[in-house]
Amino acid sequence: MSARYLLRRLAQLVPAVAGIVLVAFVIIHVAPGDPVLALAGQHGDVAYYAFMRAKFGLNRPLPEQLVVYAANVVRGDLGTSYVHGRPVVAVVLERLPATLLLMTTSLLASSLAGIALGVTAARRADRTADLLVRFAALVGYATPSFWLAQIAALTLALGTGLFPVQGISDARQAWTGWRYVGDVVHHLALPALVLAANELALTTRLVRAGVLDALTTDYIRTARAKGLPEPAVVRHALRNALLPVVTVIGGRIGMLFTGAVLVETVFAWPGLGLLLLSSIQTRDTPVLLALFLLVSLAVILTNVITDLTYAWLDPRIRYD
Amino acid sequence: MRGVPGWIAAAALVVLVAATGPRAQETPARGGTLVVAISADPGHLNPAITTSGATHTAAELLYNGLLGRDERGDAIPDLAESWTIEQAGAVYRFRLRDDVTWHDGTRFTSADVKFSFEEVLLKFHARTKASMSSALAGIETPDDRTVVFRFKQPYAPLLLQLDATEAPIVAKHVYQASDPQTNPANTQPIGTGPFKFTSYRKGAEIRLARNPTYFKKGLPLLDELVMRVIPDPGTQVLALENGEVDFLWGVPGPDQARLKADARFRMAQTSYHPGGSNCIMTVSFNFERPLLKDVRVRRAIAQGLDREAFLRQVLFGEGRVAAAPISSEMAWAHARNLTMPSFDRAEAERLLDAAGWKKERDATRVARGVPGIAYGTRLAIDFVHFPAFSKYGELMRQQLGAVGIDVTPRPLEPAVFAPTVFKDRNFDTNVISYCNGPDPEIGVRRMYYSSQIGPAPFTNAAAYRNDRVDALFDLAGRTVEREKRTPIYRQIQEIVVQDLPYYWLVETPTTRAWSAKCGGFKAWTGLFAEAAFCKR
Repeated sequence: MSARYLLRRLAQLVPAVAGIVLVAFVIIHVAPGDPVLALAGQHGDVAYYAFMRAKFGLNRPLPEQLVVYAANVVRGDLGTSYVHGRPVVAVVLERLPATLLLMTTSLLASSLAGIALGVTAARRADRTADLLVRFAALVGYATPSFWLAQIAALTLALGTGLFPVQGISDARQAWTGWRYVGDVVHHLALPALVLAANELALTTRLVRAGVLDALTTDYIRTARAKGLPEPAVVRHALRNALLPVVTVIGGRIGMLFTGAVLVETVFAWPGLGLLLLSSIQTRDTPVLLALFLLVSLAVILTNVITDLTYAWLDPRIRYD
Repeated sequence: MRGVPGWIAAAALVVLVAATGPRAQETPARGGTLVVAISADPGHLNPAITTSGATHTAAELLYNGLLGRDERGDAIPDLAESWTIEQAGAVYRFRLRDDVTWHDGTRFTSADVKFSFEEVLLKFHARTKASMSSALAGIETPDDRTVVFRFKQPYAPLLLQLDATEAPIVAKHVYQASDPQTNPANTQPIGTGPFKFTSYRKGAEIRLARNPTYFKKGLPLLDELVMRVIPDPGTQVLALENGEVDFLWGVPGPDQARLKADARFRMAQTSYHPGGSNCIMTVSFNFERPLLKDVRVRRAIAQGLDREAFLRQVLFGEGRVAAAPISSEMAWAHARNLTMPSFDRAEAERLLDAAGWKKERDATRVARGVPGIAYGTRLAIDFVHFPAFSKYGELMRQQLGAVGIDVTPRPLEPAVFAPTVFKDRNFDTNVISYCNGPDPEIGVRRMYYSSQIGPAPFTNAAAYRNDRVDALFDLAGRTVEREKRTPIYRQIQEIVVQDLPYYWLVETPTTRAWSAKCGGFKAWTGLFAEAAFCKR
């Protein structure tokens, strides 16, 4: 893979981002709802609304608002949140780590466990272990995460008392150092488990199918004929079986974020999902636009990374 | 409490005894941490620049008003220790306490009060601006401890508009020469309240610590108070049951029986909420729609609705059927023994027949000689509501369907509901939780006054116009003595019950719940934890 290819892929981000800004801006502004009315709540008078509209620049024509916004984005200024009264970049960045932690943990856990379960099922195809894994994967894939979240909270948290049901850390004790890390991991367990469940099911099914397929190919037969030990044979098969898995995992970052919105709401996890939900309810347009931009960029970049991983997994693939 | 009917005072006492009963057996102790669940991240902690319930819930304990409110809703001293009313209510003179300091040690003076009103509250606090700005002539500060409010004419509701919910006082030395909406102190606040700001982790929690120099001696009792953001009401209840939080602002209906039966928890009902008090779920009839112009149709809808069923099925019994247009919690203004339209399907059908809406074979009605309506038009109305109120829509459709009215519920989220109803006026009927506030001038006038017809949200949704009602509201607004205002509001309620621009379904108090290890809560005020304690 050449550096030129990489540069070209990254350069494609520019029109993509411009398109995202344009489409997101139009969708949000065309959708019904008025941030000033949402801000004022039950009371307010006409003069107050006019004053707030002028303050946020909402009294200007939509094309003018778009030009001003686009120019600001180019300068790296995503505006000021109507609700928080602070720069959007700060509002989004302070919520980003919690969501990154939740999504990364879920993705890692679901990928590693999915590969392990998929390989196990493929090696014991149509035996009890395989049937159990396939059944569990089917149930996991069909279960909505908001329902699973509530069941997990009721059984694993309230039922056993082992896990907290909300938050990223203990409200009563402000821990520091490693005890804080332990506290966060304790709070992370349930939401990460719920968010991972869906992905785990999908990865397991894909790996099982891929490995089963690879195990019947000529090169595996040759490897076995050469007397290669079984773990090494499976490792060879797995490398090929992972190609579609990598594609799917890379393509599901957006879906994972959607899941994070639900899981964060149920477990009161203070990340971007909760911010997105509250910003939709209050029509906090600058925050919404920033979140659309961030998620879209994440999906595009993940796709680039997926392509790179693809080439690493399969040396026959060449980009130029 | 002159002018308060005995039965309402007795009922209020029962609620209070129920609320305070368990506490009476507990001994207040100093120390401890209270964890409170809040439904939304407030964004900032300046209650003077917003009426947002999220900010007021999280931030009022950091501030004080000139006056507070007791459990009956009457004004009591807070930053002001006394007051006099002059010129028949056109001038209010307040004497301030001299032992109040801001959390940064600066002395609190009358200049802070003048600045708070003129530069912050009357510009950014939507309720205070809407109700007070046109009436106020000026604020004077003859000395450091005196504040004088001068109005253009007698102004009745002022004393109930001065607590930390309606008019929290902010520090002049912190906010002067800055934009109050973007001042950094909005997220690191400096107030006079019982608790001082410690930290704010966005979207997660706000930590407050005891203010050791609080001007009310011996208070607060708690060392620390944590506001935990938990948006899902179900998770809030689980967190209480799991011992992770100690206090909930509200409990969903289906969970109430379970918590009530559990000795680990205490519960109390209140009509106070920082976002709006004394709320009544109210159906509005759009007077601009021809079919709703006939009072017989509006009355038929009212008589076709079984409000007891709304109370049972939607609120799980948490509330009361509305007995008058003004909340019974505002006992002095609430009209007792008013004859409201009662549930009577036969009468509803008779009224619709008389209005020219005849029942066809498929049980819906069509226009047979209704003035202004094309012959043969079906009697169909839409019913706009917040998604959270979808059960009201289901019951409306079911109950009015039984008398031949075809109702289509139309759920709209709050940010869309407000412009649809108040700006575009694109609806037949809707349901709104109209909060009466501490005084009818604040939350009731806006529903009926003819100049309050859109586009501002939660004003006169019905587009109701009645010169007599306007004149009575004007009279009540400039009459300071409560006992003289009572009969005026009674007249207003008698008229609107005849005209039926709205139908008042149910009063909706909320249920607070807390751990039995804690007590001392004042459920009726934003300074709810000023005297709270928790045993550990």
